[in-house]
Amino acid sequence: MRDAAYPFATFVLFVIAWYGAAVFFDIPPYLLPRPEAVIERLVGDFGYLMRHTWVTTYETLGGFFLSIVVGVPLAFLIVSSRVLDKAIMPWLILSQTFPKVALAPLIVVWFGLGITPKILITFLVAFFPIVISTVVGLRSMEREMLELATSMRASRFQLFWKFRFPLALPSLFSGLKVSVAFAVVGAVIAEWVGATEGLGYLLLVANANLDTTLLFAVLAILTVIGVVLYYGVEIIETRAIPWHATVRLKDASL
Amino acid sequence: MKPAIRLENVTKKFDELTALQSVGLSVEKGEFIAVVGSSGCGKSTLLRLIAGLLPATEGSVMVNGHHIDGPTEDVGIAFQTPVLLPWRTVRENIALPLEIQGARRASYEDAIGRMIDLVGLKGFEDKQPHQLSGGMQQRVSLCRALIHDPALLLMDEPFGALDAMTREQMNLEVQRIWMETGKTVVLITHSIIEAVFLADRVVVMSSRPGRVVDVLDVKVPRPRSFSNLGDPGFQEASDRIRELMNANGMVE
Repeated sequence: MRDAAYPFATFVLFVIAWYGAAVFFDIPPYLLPRPEAVIERLVGDFGYLMRHTWVTTYETLGGFFLSIVVGVPLAFLIVSSRVLDKAIMPWLILSQTFPKVALAPLIVVWFGLGITPKILITFLVAFFPIVISTVVGLRSMEREMLELATSMRASRFQLFWKFRFPLALPSLFSGLKVSVAFAVVGAVIAEWVGATEGLGYLLLVANANLDTTLLFAVLAILTVIGVVLYYGVEIIETRAIPWHATVRLKDASL
Repeated sequence: MKPAIRLENVTKKFDELTALQSVGLSVEKGEFIAVVGSSGCGKSTLLRLIAGLLPATEGSVMVNGHHIDGPTEDVGIAFQTPVLLPWRTVRENIALPLEIQGARRASYEDAIGRMIDLVGLKGFEDKQPHQLSGGMQQRVSLCRALIHDPALLLMDEPFGALDAMTREQMNLEVQRIWMETGKTVVLITHSIIEAVFLADRVVVMSSRPGRVVDVLDVKVPRPRSFSNLGDPGFQEASDRIRELMNANGMVE
């Protein structure tokens, strides 16, 4: 827990600098509201903000879970079938260069303004890191490990569940961490394209009204959502692969 | 009695590259054989042919009178690296071959206990691989190779990455385990000392393509110890091996 002191100190310095800048340069509140105004807003409109927060969190998690449910099995298929690998993998890698959010307007045209298009857009953004990292993880078995499994006459099923899959978990988890951060971005963008609620929607409203305090309040909440989800995944990772060096050596300093 | 291993005229090609050329070798049951040669002489390929991990291009490979066309239960392998599964404890790693064969846990707990005693890992049963030293990890790997009681133990330079002291210690352990269990052992190594110290017979191979240049006996009684390395039997064998390797331009 002592490790949390350092980033917290950075945060405090940041807020002080923010406050200092606002006072010293006498910046008008519609450009840069003071920290206390943002906190006041967060407290005053708590219920209202939480209602929108819930919507965005729901979309984020929905898209993220859909990414896992589709992405991990797809990676299994790619690794187990040479044909699928050759047919799909190049497109997956190419699609990394494609701005997935550009599809958002099209998805709104197809699916309307409900929750479905939000989850789909979030999924589009969050899905690729999971597939790619799971494929990389499943392929990471060394030759001797494979020979060991073969010499024990492990079945395909055993080879997968006793060797490949556990070996893939570290890579899978690093994909999940990237993905969960992307998912928040996906949900906000999905709301920008067409929504009547959620934090992304609030950002547009605040922007239109030049309500900078609300903008800052929403940004603060988005930061918290991102951090909480990221650490959520990391906690699960620590439980799932305590044996892996990234988990074991987390506290080791150089 | 059928030989434990019999290779007849075995050739192995990888595309255009001939890794092994017309190799013949016969190993008796309970014999300790070391195979030496410079890197790239196909000695690891030879081991993989005997293990059934690779098919021979020509010739026949027999283990205990059976033609080898895939991995069999008769063989246990210790690889260059320990290849332990990092999420499993020592005990669970050793149990792996039995688990894969579908044995019931209750049926092998005792066997694992005995194996752990045999290689001196008592007290480390529930440790994870990363908590062990390199030598310890190789002991676990050795246990795993022996747990299903194979007739044949194959070792592919398992001590190459260990420091000299640990390596000598492991050689003593291997000699002791071999004397206690009576397995047929094939040890691949590039260390001449390790080969003559452990083996009844040393197979010397030349490279590109890999051939058996000579097979020589090491006539030193057991148990052997490193303080006897001055023994004429050891000297004679290692001098002869060096001579053969020099003659074949194998010393880099």
